[in-house]
Amino acid sequence: MVAKGDFRRIERFIWELPKGTRPDMRVPARMFADPELLDAAFRDRTVEQLINTTTLPGIVKYALAMPDFHQGYGFPIGGVAAMRTDTGVISPGGVGYDINCGVRLLASHLEQEQVAPYLQDLTAALYRSCPSGVGGKGRVRVSERELDELVTKGARWALKRGLARAEDLAHTEEGGCMPGADPSQVSARAKQRGRPQVGSLGAGNHFLEIDVVEEIYDPDVADVFGLWEGQVVVQIHCGSRGYGHQICDDYVKRLQSAVQKYGIKLPDRELVCAPIDSPEGRAYYGAMACAVNYAFVNRQVLAMGVREAFEQVLAGKVKNFDLYQVYDVAHNIAKFEEHEVDGRRVRLCVHRKGATRAFGPGRPEVPEDYREVGQPVLVPGSMGTSSYVLVGTQRAMEISWGSTCHGAGRVMSRRQALKRIWGADLRRELEEQGIVIRAGSMKGLAEEAPAAYKDVSRVVEVVHGAGIARKVARLRPLAVIKG
Amino acid sequence: MEGGFEEIEHTADVALHVWGKDLKELFINAARGMAWLLADPETVEPTVEVALDLEGFDAETLLVTWLGELLYYNETDQLVFTEFDLEEIKPTHLRGVARGGVPKETRRHIKAVTFHEMDIRPTDRGLETTIVFDV
Repeated sequence: MVAKGDFRRIERFIWELPKGTRPDMRVPARMFADPELLDAAFRDRTVEQLINTTTLPGIVKYALAMPDFHQGYGFPIGGVAAMRTDTGVISPGGVGYDINCGVRLLASHLEQEQVAPYLQDLTAALYRSCPSGVGGKGRVRVSERELDELVTKGARWALKRGLARAEDLAHTEEGGCMPGADPSQVSARAKQRGRPQVGSLGAGNHFLEIDVVEEIYDPDVADVFGLWEGQVVVQIHCGSRGYGHQICDDYVKRLQSAVQKYGIKLPDRELVCAPIDSPEGRAYYGAMACAVNYAFVNRQVLAMGVREAFEQVLAGKVKNFDLYQVYDVAHNIAKFEEHEVDGRRVRLCVHRKGATRAFGPGRPEVPEDYREVGQPVLVPGSMGTSSYVLVGTQRAMEISWGSTCHGAGRVMSRRQALKRIWGADLRRELEEQGIVIRAGSMKGLAEEAPAAYKDVSRVVEVVHGAGIARKVARLRPLAVIKG
Repeated sequence: MEGGFEEIEHTADVALHVWGKDLKELFINAARGMAWLLADPETVEPTVEVALDLEGFDAETLLVTWLGELLYYNETDQLVFTEFDLEEIKPTHLRGVARGGVPKETRRHIKAVTFHEMDIRPTDRGLETTIVFDV
């Protein structure tokens, strides 16, 4: 059993477990944490799962855990690993079931006081225009052929259909379209599940939130992102719905035999993988890219729903009810990126599972108008608590494959949360803080209670302190919509 | 046999401990357990029947496939299955029918069946495994 004493503190917020701690480790494991967060890692299987990640073929330098780590499937949540493209593997367990679960931030031209009188109406309108809940059908229906086109072109499909603006695409990771999507690698069942759900929020930890920018930490960067104190903004948090889930599910099963075929030894079956340069590895990448694009379109279509709701409620009441897109980030993804390894630029396959890309200034992947400062990083808090806007850094490029945290990180199981927290009580509590709530189920509300999560502020202090992202702004919720 | 499954504590998700005297009973108890997680089985009237013919790389993969298949009907048609007839079962193949209906009230949504901690082990009462569900 690995203990805290086995970790070497190499920087104030970086803890390293040397390579030999377990004989099958190929590289060291590193965790970004303060001492208390590190303690939390021993309360579930985070450390074991991070060590498991270090055993994957082709892993470069180290396996990383962001400070919002918790137990997942395969990789821990918060896990980041970069693989060589020649000898390395790609793993659905390093991406997760909700492929390209992510966050989109829309900003208004309005101050909190201007929106306050209409907050109830706005919340109700958002609830209507952005379908939520488990089987929730989406805002648009597509045929199977259209779906294949949608997942190949990503947000460009939405643009063609009048469901996006060109500037939305420019402010989306990958421009809203991941290259290499191959719908022929996606099962009929995934397509069947995906077809009716385009433009729907889903259930679980997904939400839509109206927030106010409560505090600005970096006025210059905030200005570049178009954020100011007192401003009303909207967060959309969701992913690739049944389509992505089915793809992950299919490939976790399909690749079980590939592991045997390529003689890969795994400590956990959820870490199932295939060489990047193999028919099985290419098939998974092609299918995963489809789900990534599905999720970009999903959030894009919802963004148009949010704009519609703002127009419905605020037209004629305020001067400018328009919403512009600050950015859209992926939290669960595997991508080919260039990074510097021992002074050389190398193309790597970076897995981020519950982690956000945090590219610093100058990177060509960062939108032109943000390139001088770095990309926006969107870190939603748990329901009813603060969320953060951060900016990517050069330091992240050097020590975390250009990655940082993605949220608060769960500390209480859903079952524990249900035992201790009543949905109705929680609703009252949030309402007492002046937060408007629309939730499809009280139970879903209790499962996502803030007490079930780590304190997001603490997580953010760690990434800020470690330098793998910098604080720009803090958001406080005014209204929450949940499935 | 009474029971055949129990819910166990698991961070982030829900999990079952499932047992049975042989592979057939293990698979049926796993499906009953999943039904219990989804809804109160008492409120299900089994009026719909689906035929299943499934293959897996090994027994664990087949178990994940079997539950995943039933879960698919839950997502698309809200069906919860409470009666099972497995005519043929070996570690890489099963054939049979499941009967179920739409419950009056659902308990939760399950997104996926995972391989996490899944390991079908022999015990003195037959076979057992843990099944973790992504919810």
